[in-house]
Amino acid sequence: MAHTETTSSEPSSPKSASSQFSLGELIRSPAMGAFVGMVIVFAIFAMFGFSRNFLSIAGFANWMNFASTVGIIAIPVAFLMIAGELDISTGAVLPASAMMLGISVNHYDFPMWLGIIMTLTMAASVGLVNGLLVTRTQVPSFIVTLATLFAVGGLTLALSDFLINNTNVSLQSPDWAKALFGTRYFGFRSAVYWWIGLIVIFWFFLHKSPWGNWVFAVGGDSESARNAGIPVNKLKIWLFVLCSVCTALAGMCQVIQFNSAQSATFFNMIFFTIIASVVGGVLLNGGFGSVAGVVFGTMTLGIVQQGINYTDIDRNLSLLIIGVMLLIAVLMNGTFQSLATSWSSSKKED
Amino acid sequence: MKKLIATTAALAITASGAFAADIALVIGSNQDSFWNVVKKGAEDAAVLIEARGGSLNILQTNNYDNYGADLATLIEQATAQGVDGIATVLPVPDAQLPAIQAAIDAGIKVTLLNGGGDRLEESGALNYFGSDEYVAGVAGGKYMAEAGATHILCHIQIPGTVNLEARCAGVEEGATAAGAKATILRVPANLDGDVAGTSAAIEAELNSDPSIDAVVNLATWAADASAAAIEQLGKTESVKLGTFDLSPSTLDRIKAGTQTMAIDQTPYYQGFLSVSTLAAHIDFGTKVATQPVLTGPAIVDSSNIDATFAGVEAGTR
Repeated sequence: MAHTETTSSEPSSPKSASSQFSLGELIRSPAMGAFVGMVIVFAIFAMFGFSRNFLSIAGFANWMNFASTVGIIAIPVAFLMIAGELDISTGAVLPASAMMLGISVNHYDFPMWLGIIMTLTMAASVGLVNGLLVTRTQVPSFIVTLATLFAVGGLTLALSDFLINNTNVSLQSPDWAKALFGTRYFGFRSAVYWWIGLIVIFWFFLHKSPWGNWVFAVGGDSESARNAGIPVNKLKIWLFVLCSVCTALAGMCQVIQFNSAQSATFFNMIFFTIIASVVGGVLLNGGFGSVAGVVFGTMTLGIVQQGINYTDIDRNLSLLIIGVMLLIAVLMNGTFQSLATSWSSSKKED
Repeated sequence: MKKLIATTAALAITASGAFAADIALVIGSNQDSFWNVVKKGAEDAAVLIEARGGSLNILQTNNYDNYGADLATLIEQATAQGVDGIATVLPVPDAQLPAIQAAIDAGIKVTLLNGGGDRLEESGALNYFGSDEYVAGVAGGKYMAEAGATHILCHIQIPGTVNLEARCAGVEEGATAAGAKATILRVPANLDGDVAGTSAAIEAELNSDPSIDAVVNLATWAADASAAAIEQLGKTESVKLGTFDLSPSTLDRIKAGTQTMAIDQTPYYQGFLSVSTLAAHIDFGTKVATQPVLTGPAIVDSSNIDATFAGVEAGTR
């Protein structure tokens, strides 16, 4: 029954990770606030959207489909936030990836697999540039990725106009690519299954592997982490690459699913991923967060974003509702965090 | 009168107890004022639909960043909601047609409005309510030439966009047929929605080619940009301005005489007709024989500006 390792990866008080299940530990987990928030939001929309099949499988699939695109990107964005950095270039990498795959396969008749490799390579190099600039200069990652957001967005627009004389591209994918990236199983898009797979992998990465501890350590105190022998710069560069590559995956799923891509920068994606992370209990200043929390945060966003259409609430209020919910979620996270801290400290006194 | 019809319809429903259609309307961004007029038309139609015991649910995207995917998601959402009919725009057929097909497979009746009329047959939809961009362009070009323009500059804010290219091609055709010349100006697409940047671009064109004596814009914000450029150069007397679509500032200029005309595609009709005929088709089996139904072009100029203003007040233009 006794666990040999600590179950939580938070840097604080490894002793409190007791071997038996306790309510305190559950509430202490960073995902708890996000989970409670999601349940409340779900209940509200279930109540108001009941008559329009919000609770049907199709209704569930509908907001999960929306959430999957955000979710695939939000987890690596959260990793960066936990490590004390931020990546907002996702808003440009997503359309860039979709356009690149569309143009290379549809316009230049490249085989699909080659297009996918090229797209992932392009995204990885954007991530590499982000990582190198952040670690080699003193410029904050917000500014660095703001610059690459606009640079990549501008390049996407200019290149599409130059290469195909159009800002939109259509794409007819081979069956295997459709089956893998762009079809539906039981009403859920392929992206949902990618998301679930990535959740498992990323959960192991952050909470079970030594690299996960490094991420928390770097975000908690970068200098100590460096002194403890953690390759801080290398880790950050890899996280930026991971973030861009995941964004490209989401973009490729989208273009293959919808057979078309547009080159407009997807500014909303930046906000979506940050909202999902913050609602999921990730601290903007780093060192705190969990994969489960981000997943709950993403699902909450999906419910709010899509759920309003199942209700009679005035649609013009949807942005207002998202804003208020974000605020409530953040305040609630604060409460849960202080609850967690006071609980563990009181426990220590025992 | 409308109330009377509604009451009669309400009486009819209580008498017969028949089932009535639940309709979903899928349209563009709720931050784009154009759709408010479409929405107004649909809401007016909803008065009748609700009197019969049916309902209307209007679904809009947040913006145009991810338009095709967002619209497809909304169509899926309407399907999940179990509506009887979906009226939708079709600007990105590649992304939307599978979702529309799934809706039709689920037994939902679909009709199109505003855009995508050329894909009507392929989509399996009942009808299309909107304008034909090329026809509207021809009407605009002809009007400007007949109003005295000899060299028209047609400004495309997003080069390569099919409907925008069709509009300017139409303007060129209409102008040439009426004996004038037309030049198509394709500005970099990053100027889309940028009034200051577009104004500077238009100003540069007017400066570099003094023979240009008319500008046609494809969006009202772009007409605002052109108006500023023309005024800046002191050419309000010599350069005519025309635009696609209506906005308060556009109408103010027509009233003041600084803009010649605006080409209206009557978005009110697009919302009203698509939703009401779709519901009537489901409830009563009726069908409009004309296909597609063109809701434009309707030219707004000094001769009908006052009635148009009344429509703006009521939110119907």
